Amino acid sequence: MTMRSFKVLAAGVGIALTVAACGAGGAEQAKQDPSAPLELWTRTTPGGDGEKGMKKLAAAFEAATGQKVEVTAIFDDFETKLSQRAAQKDLPDIVMNDSSQLGTMVSQGIVREVDLASIKGSDQLLEPALAAARAADGKTYGVPYSAQASALLVRKDWLKKVGQTAPANWDQLVALAKAFTTQDPDGNGKADTYGLAVPGSTKRGYASWYFSNFLWAGGGDFIAKQSDGKFKPAMTTPESVAATKWFRDLACRSKVVQPGAATMDTPPTNETFEAGRTGMYVVGPYLMPRFDSSLGKDKYDVVPMPQGPKDATVLAEGGSVYLMAGSKNEAGQNAFAGFAISAEGQKLGMQGEKAFIVQLPVNKSVDVTTVRPDPRWKLYADAYREHGRYAPSIPNWTAVRQSTADTMNALIADCGLDLDAELKKLDQKLGEALSQQGIGAS
Amino acid sequence: MSVHQATRVTGSAPPAARAEPPAGRQRLSRRRSGQWWVPWLFLAPALILFLYFKFIPMAQAIGMSVQDVRPYLGNTWVGGANYAEVLGSDGFRSAAWNTVVLAVGQTAGSMILGFCLALLVEGQTRKLTFIRSAAFLPVVVPLAVTAELWRIMYHPTGDGLINQVIGLVGLGPSGFINDPQTSLASIAVTGIWRGAPYDMMIFLAGLAGIDRGLYEAATVDGASTRQRILHVTLPGLRPVFAILFVLAAVRGFRTFTEVFLLTNGGPNGSTEVVMTLIYKLGLEQSRLGVGSAGAVLLFAATLVLTVCVQLLRRRRSA
Repeated sequence: MTMRSFKVLAAGVGIALTVAACGAGGAEQAKQDPSAPLELWTRTTPGGDGEKGMKKLAAAFEAATGQKVEVTAIFDDFETKLSQRAAQKDLPDIVMNDSSQLGTMVSQGIVREVDLASIKGSDQLLEPALAAARAADGKTYGVPYSAQASALLVRKDWLKKVGQTAPANWDQLVALAKAFTTQDPDGNGKADTYGLAVPGSTKRGYASWYFSNFLWAGGGDFIAKQSDGKFKPAMTTPESVAATKWFRDLACRSKVVQPGAATMDTPPTNETFEAGRTGMYVVGPYLMPRFDSSLGKDKYDVVPMPQGPKDATVLAEGGSVYLMAGSKNEAGQNAFAGFAISAEGQKLGMQGEKAFIVQLPVNKSVDVTTVRPDPRWKLYADAYREHGRYAPSIPNWTAVRQSTADTMNALIADCGLDLDAELKKLDQKLGEALSQQGIGAS
Repeated sequence: MSVHQATRVTGSAPPAARAEPPAGRQRLSRRRSGQWWVPWLFLAPALILFLYFKFIPMAQAIGMSVQDVRPYLGNTWVGGANYAEVLGSDGFRSAAWNTVVLAVGQTAGSMILGFCLALLVEGQTRKLTFIRSAAFLPVVVPLAVTAELWRIMYHPTGDGLINQVIGLVGLGPSGFINDPQTSLASIAVTGIWRGAPYDMMIFLAGLAGIDRGLYEAATVDGASTRQRILHVTLPGLRPVFAILFVLAAVRGFRTFTEVFLLTNGGPNGSTEVVMTLIYKLGLEQSRLGVGSAGAVLLFAATLVLTVCVQLLRRRRSA
């Protein structure tokens, strides 16, 4: 590299920094065009049932209003791709994504505040779902269109084989997991079955996402809200430590978790359940159609989550319609959100054996059993209403989820690690993340 | 500026050639007739593509690295805060170390294996052409497919393919990518498997350029195969080694896909490399400023490495 190339490089860096120092302008409302087609992104597998369901909803909306909607399905690295579009200042008009993404999107300024008065039928929304669409500042930035909670899937034929019933508490869960692991429930003569399927990868925070069902039922918490509205790290409370130890022992002591869990996200974990490698799996209702066709409806039961030391709290989640910033058609955005939560939209979203996008309705006037007589759906609906708990609305939940996933992943991958020391380190990390977000309790 | 330097900068012929009036006059007349832009015209498509897809984004990344990036709320200047955060994040030091270990391991492994393969498949017969093509296959298989295949082969129980193989000699079963002790080495092996055939091809090109007469002379002098490799082949491949070293080191620094797909930096951060850390900080948490700062640091490290290698080469050849 010659002196001249160095000079060129230095000049380039100088120009880039100068431009950056001048700063960019803030947000302005784009020029409105009420007939502009709406670009909609949904986080689901391209070409899969979720996409078909979303297209069905978009077509019904178009038939009702004449408004065009272009549906794009993206599954891998959804948030990354959205960040890239944000950097180009060219966002889709509507994003259908997890409710837990709210904080991150709000702090990025890529979603606009929702005026519930201009969303038709928003007074019919269930309160817990609506609360999950409120950000830390108390304003609403999303319109919930679907809800879900976790329940336990258990291999029915394996239960018969080992002569046990579905577990009602944690002790029974461990006993059954051990039986599934040691008693050759598939009868192939090999020790190749495991009690519980666990997606323990750090990717998208899966390890923490899965563990939250057990942490909350054990009375623990990731972060605890104080009376002044601020948060404190809570992974070193006795309840959290006990729940973490219990969960880790499944992998390290009783060894009832499938091998390789530490590097598995959901797709390979789903495969362990449908391939008859694991006998229990804690998931939302969205996997039932898949397992019905791959494994067979008669092969597994859906039962409520076993009672933990504290209660049977499960992770509640859902999807929200996010109205993105910079849209040329805000009236269209509002109309679509209103249609998605209307009784018609909700029922349409629930229809079909496979291509449905609404798991559990968020509209008070819609009863899940009217569209889905299958009792398993009723079980999920009850779990959501009675035991569901959403992740807290903080500016960046992803950071908290990621840190806890890193620690949980480490604990199940390396059985020699000192659990207390790791959780202390985690609390420190969480404390830093909370202060960075301006919500750390002093 | 000396005459030698002047010729180097202008890219014109050496002084001896310039003494020939016809060539000089021809060039002058070409310049006067305005044909200096012809080479630029040929270069233009590539240059425009490079400018649009490489240099402008690079400049933007440098700009974003000193800002809190919020496209719709307005970016705010934060100076070195993003850099401080990347350098100060508790994972950065171990990620940088893992990156160096992985880069060194993969570079050395790929070069040694590539060199051995090249020696084995060098020659003219038809069979060798087929074997060469077969050996090159890992390079053309998409990395996502490679990673998924290795994940299956690395299955951490006794049923796993590789565990069955090492079980034959009484080893294992190993946890491979699922065990913090062996995860980085397992990823390095995957990288070597993929990188070695690429290095092999470049070595083959280098081997073809070595004067056969030297081998014959060495044989006449009674040199053994080992001595021929040591005193004829290796010195003849010196420039190839330099090129490969730069290419492989840069490739090693930017390792991302295999780590992301196989372990995503886990278990317990044992395979976290700089690129996966940047991805987590910048993109998964939608903090583009922090991610850009990490990318600029990586660019700087790669630049320093490349410049050092160039300077070393120049000193050697001087």
